[in-house]
Amino acid sequence: MLFSERVPCGRLTPDDVGRQVLLAGWVDAFRDHGGLLFIHLRDRSGIVQVVVSPEVAPSEVCERAAALRSEYCVAVRGQVKQRLAGTENPRLDTGTTEVMVTELTVLAESDALPFAVSEKAMVAGAPSAEAEQVAEDLRLQYRYLDIRRPSMLDNLALRHRIFQTVRQFLDERGFLEIETPVLTMSTPEGARDYLVPSRVHPQNFYALPQSPQLFKQLLMIGGVERYFQLARCFRDEDLRPNRQPEFTQLDLEASFIDEEFLYELVEELTVKMFAVGEIELARPFPRMTYAEAMDTTGSDRPDLRFGLRFVDVTDVFAHTDYAIFRQILQRGGCIKGLNLKGQSPRLSKNVLQNEYAKEIAPSFGAKGMTWMRAENGGLESNIVQFFSAEELEELRRRFDAADGDVLIMVADPSYEVVTSALGQLRLHLAHRLGLIPAGSFCPVWITEFPLFDPTDEGGVTSSHHPFTAPDRTDFDPTNIEELLALRSRAYDLVVNGEELGGGSIRINNRDVQRKIFAALGLSDEDVRERFGFFLRAFDFGAPPHGGLALGMDRTVAMILQTSSIREVIAFPKNRSAACPLTGAPSAVKREQLAELELLNLGGQDLLPGTAEKEDWIDRLSWVSRIGIGAEERSVMEETVRRAEALAALAAEKAGGEKPMYSVVPVANRMRPGIEARRSELAQSGRLLKNAPSTKGDYFRVAGILE
Amino acid sequence: MDPIFFHRNPDPATAEGPRQGLRVALQPNLAVAGWPMEAGSRALAGYAAPEDATIVRRLRASGAHLSGSTHMSEFGLGLAGNGTGAALRAGEADVELVLDLMGESRLAAAGAAVCGFKPSYGLVSRFGLVGLIPSMECCGIMSESLGGIRAVLQVVAGQDGLDFSLPEEPVPDFAPETVDPARITVGVVGEAQHDLGVTQEEAFRSAIDGMAGAGFAVRQVSLPEWPLFALVHRIVGSVEASSAAGRYDSVRYGRRASGAKNWNEMYLLSRGAAFGTLLKSYLIQGAYFQFERYGAFEDACRIRARLVGEMRRLMAEVDVLALPAVVSGPRGGEAADDASDAPDGVYAQFALTLFANVTGQPALCLPSTMASHTGLQLVGPRLSDGRLLALAEYLQKTGRGGN
Repeated sequence: MLFSERVPCGRLTPDDVGRQVLLAGWVDAFRDHGGLLFIHLRDRSGIVQVVVSPEVAPSEVCERAAALRSEYCVAVRGQVKQRLAGTENPRLDTGTTEVMVTELTVLAESDALPFAVSEKAMVAGAPSAEAEQVAEDLRLQYRYLDIRRPSMLDNLALRHRIFQTVRQFLDERGFLEIETPVLTMSTPEGARDYLVPSRVHPQNFYALPQSPQLFKQLLMIGGVERYFQLARCFRDEDLRPNRQPEFTQLDLEASFIDEEFLYELVEELTVKMFAVGEIELARPFPRMTYAEAMDTTGSDRPDLRFGLRFVDVTDVFAHTDYAIFRQILQRGGCIKGLNLKGQSPRLSKNVLQNEYAKEIAPSFGAKGMTWMRAENGGLESNIVQFFSAEELEELRRRFDAADGDVLIMVADPSYEVVTSALGQLRLHLAHRLGLIPAGSFCPVWITEFPLFDPTDEGGVTSSHHPFTAPDRTDFDPTNIEELLALRSRAYDLVVNGEELGGGSIRINNRDVQRKIFAALGLSDEDVRERFGFFLRAFDFGAPPHGGLALGMDRTVAMILQTSSIREVIAFPKNRSAACPLTGAPSAVKREQLAELELLNLGGQDLLPGTAEKEDWIDRLSWVSRIGIGAEERSVMEETVRRAEALAALAAEKAGGEKPMYSVVPVANRMRPGIEARRSELAQSGRLLKNAPSTKGDYFRVAGILE
Repeated sequence: MDPIFFHRNPDPATAEGPRQGLRVALQPNLAVAGWPMEAGSRALAGYAAPEDATIVRRLRASGAHLSGSTHMSEFGLGLAGNGTGAALRAGEADVELVLDLMGESRLAAAGAAVCGFKPSYGLVSRFGLVGLIPSMECCGIMSESLGGIRAVLQVVAGQDGLDFSLPEEPVPDFAPETVDPARITVGVVGEAQHDLGVTQEEAFRSAIDGMAGAGFAVRQVSLPEWPLFALVHRIVGSVEASSAAGRYDSVRYGRRASGAKNWNEMYLLSRGAAFGTLLKSYLIQGAYFQFERYGAFEDACRIRARLVGEMRRLMAEVDVLALPAVVSGPRGGEAADDASDAPDGVYAQFALTLFANVTGQPALCLPSTMASHTGLQLVGPRLSDGRLLALAEYLQKTGRGGN
């Protein structure tokens, strides 16, 4: 068979009618009409219906066709025919044609499928497979079948298209694509490193890069001027939804540029990428300083698809008689609020007071929440009687309140508490009230971040990284107050409340860099030890430079509007950072560890098999949620060792009996006269008396995620 | 610390009833409204019972006086730290209730030279009991006199609408009955005598001689799979314990460790701090079977089915089985202090008693006057509790039972 003659299934059009064609692909679906067999044949290009009819096909072809099952890989030859009027399938691009088979070759058979691959029903109204209903781990275990589904394949194709757009655009702008090493040096960055042991240098480790940050700056010092890379990065972070241990970022850096160059470049690039998903973004992207973002949305990655901007009303209550506000203001606090325009009918007093003020706002860290409803030209709430007429009048004016509006306010001695709690309330209310328009995309640059954050010990720490340029260089590195007032030349690109990427202009002047290290309290020796090779490069004429990194998995997922980033990655890890397809990560043979001289790492002589045991203890400790102290480990190891022997003995001695779980027959027992009702202990609250921590009628527990 | 009671009942008042004047000590694993119920574990530190257990309610209604709760090992597993028997010895109670997971009530009785009885499984309600091994545990009864045991059993046994695990079976009659020794065959299990210490062996032989002397027909019987009882108990017991202890989550009760960053850490830290090393190793063992070798649990349940079947066949041939209770050691039932932190040590102590927990049979331990800290175990078929007590009473009356 000459595959060179092969025609893509999805490309057949009415123009092809009458042609003899060779098609190859997979059986997407089939339908048997008493000897007349209809098959949806699918390849990467799409689906076409092929028909095996005893009137056209030889009998051995009909026999072979009758044995076809879903996802058999087949090749057919036949003539393209116009479908009869009324039998067209509008759900297929090739729905007006079909191919009458004369030859059929089964290239490979398929086992029964773990889940349906077909997404196109053969008849109108028939249900089609929905990937969402299949357990994700099963999809990941059989990812190659999952990828056969056209919607999944589309995701990968569009990801490819977006990547090509990036490459082409940056190439046009003079950027060179340069690869940086994956086996590299452990550097002190935000997350934990993935380590790779070296066999040649026993007990020494490479680290997988968390980002190519240092290398791209070295490329600038190397005179590359414009560099980019679609780089794989690795971070050993705690599990969170929508995070992957390895991810792809667009890493770029340029010399002799300023912020405006990067804004222009990245905006144009972002517009092009979103255009692949047929999403239009308006330029220029708005910019917001960090301070403004915090002031008006309570977040450094504000979702601007809806309003609900904060209004500061601290001064309205400067002379208030309301004791709670007065005390907060005396302690230097602030009061901010937002106006939910026309939402009064949807936010009852009960919802505002009992849900938001009592439960939701405290869960966001606020000590309370004040609400008012604009009614009859005034303001109504459970506490309006504590405010003067002037205060209420001024509130209406500040919030531009009209009847039917709802005002909510948060007051606290801490600015951070007010903005954080009100920011979360803003998002919560927007979701609840459906204020977020579907299909809208609002990019924004966040700029002028603080250069330093205060530490608990009274010093400062870099809020980005220590190579980020400050907004001015004439600062005193010992003056903490001045340091905390410094702004950085960093910028984040935020879309719909999600940070797609960020970067900064870097320091290229040795003296400024030295001042930053001094501000961080690092001695020359510390600096040499941690960044020595990197700083040495700055001694040889480093050009001014800056750059940015964009999380590509996240960007593609946003453009394709998928439910998770795993939908745009061919072989992702699952939520527990494991790969159900390959079984990674996995244990390794002791010989491998021995070869790497890892058996005695840390000077601890491990006995053969101990490592596996330790592993077991950790795993058992985790699954049974029982912490094991170091001094208890040996007892646990002994216990597990004995348990292994017991399991082996049980396997040897067990016969074919039916397992007995109880010596008395297990049965459903009806107890007449007992009604289903709320227990008296629950009703009276006595049930909560023994709880270590409660809140209202509930048990209080630690957060589910960090 | 009160050497006898963990909690002493300050209230002397009792209801009017047939058991007026009977003083019952129990363990702090039975709920008595308002009493601390820590079950010997930090996992229940500070817990005050919100209502009475069924057993407690029935005892109170019968007029019995609750003297207090005694010191106990963590969730009643083994006898380490157990003050069982102290209230009887000090004359502070007529009856003590002791959770029997693998023979604790019987070995403690042997240690205190009193009678200890584990009723048939499913006869006594577990509502309000802090248990550990649901398919094997039973509230045991200790008393100097068999009459005391009967007096309590008559009151507490029987169906309970609040305990859904109780089978719907007729409750046997516990009234005294006459015994005709000539019509009773005692089976002596050969395999149970293999590892006895010298003192224990002599005491046991003398007890068997006594029974023969009292006119009972004594027959040697064999249980070739005897060692498998321990295997089944260890696997099934630890799996059930690991599952049952899941409830100690520091959310609804107990003490919460501070500093947890999230929910999972809260569990890990709090539960890590709550359990002692022995219990922890038992729970980890159970977790091993549950999560790494589930097949072992099913295998153990298959063997359990076979052992229960074999026991049933044996009980068709004889009326009652006689076995020693204590394996060895001068201090027998009290030797618990020597037990290690691993389950092995505990299981070694209970090698002769745990089979009755596996099969759910009633088991009575009578004190020996010949050597202290030994005892004669009499075991009947399930639900023969009344008859077993009658038979033992006959032995004591003739001055020969186990003496």
